[in-house]
Amino acid sequence: MNVSAGPPPGLPQPEEPAEVPPEILMRYMDGELPPGEAAKVEEALARSTEVQRELAVFRMFHRDLTELRLHDPPPGRSAWDRIHGKLSRPMGWILMGVGAGVWTIHLLWVYLSSAAPSWEKMATSAVVIGVLVLFASVIHERYLEWQTDPYRDIER
Amino acid sequence: MNPDVERELVKKCRGGDPRFYEPLVRAYEPQGLRLALGMMGNMEDAQDALQEAFVKAFRSLGRFDVTRPFGPWFFQILRNQCRDHLRSRKSRFSVEVLDEDSFRHHADEGPGSTQRARERTEAQRILWKGLERVPEEHREVLVLKELQGLRYQEIAGILDIPEGTVASRLYHARRALKDALEAVGADYP
Repeated sequence: MNVSAGPPPGLPQPEEPAEVPPEILMRYMDGELPPGEAAKVEEALARSTEVQRELAVFRMFHRDLTELRLHDPPPGRSAWDRIHGKLSRPMGWILMGVGAGVWTIHLLWVYLSSAAPSWEKMATSAVVIGVLVLFASVIHERYLEWQTDPYRDIER
Repeated sequence: MNPDVERELVKKCRGGDPRFYEPLVRAYEPQGLRLALGMMGNMEDAQDALQEAFVKAFRSLGRFDVTRPFGPWFFQILRNQCRDHLRSRKSRFSVEVLDEDSFRHHADEGPGSTQRARERTEAQRILWKGLERVPEEHREVLVLKELQGLRYQEIAGILDIPEGTVASRLYHARRALKDALEAVGADYP
């Protein structure tokens, strides 16, 4: 705010420079001060053209910003459909996972308790386990690569 | 929205049924979109952030205090979502919010107002350019105050800071906007 050394003694003294703390000034401008305090700010403002000018600029910003017309959502079109889809999706995954798990256990039980020879069951089990191990290791490797990739945030 | 109705809807949503969430989404969507637009600067990112915020809010309803209003709590989530978006480097604040609608709005103000409309639209475009240069922390408090028209108490709740800090941050934000506008050659006194 205004800071000056003041005239030498003997000359007429000007009124004291206004000292309005920025927080109080903002509360005054935004109508957040009680009437009594607002009156005090007005008194202080009357003594400082610098603060008056600053306040006038802030008020211009306020006027121009509140006049901004941004896009409103088109009437009748809401984001609800997409939000609803995202909220419902986990339930779909859970149901699909549980169903697939039950079917897998059932088929395993049917196969292992069937009359097929033991060597056939062991060979088939080895193939299935081998595929699962390979699949898991590829996923794990990709995950590690992704974690240490320094360019992962760069858009391609 | 009536606070009692809102509370009932939140309680029902906590049971996991998203159908009761629809009235809440529709009630807070326009205000949320304006906040997200102010923070992100373009429609596409704003809509993404808004949707993600609604989904996160639904999943966090278990931690929500039902004795408090839903709005400020949701706007806090939305504000964090916008900040995360901006920091993830997937997007940055870019001014695409002003379009022909803005011009038409001013041009409709009366006969012979086309020139004035053009000037007002240009002034607003410059204002957004200034906002683009203002630090994120300052921009969000300006958006909440000037575009959303919220009171200090509400802003304090959303930003999770004391009211005194809101006032002081607003002062610095307005000063920063003034400096930014001077830097882009705007004609503010």
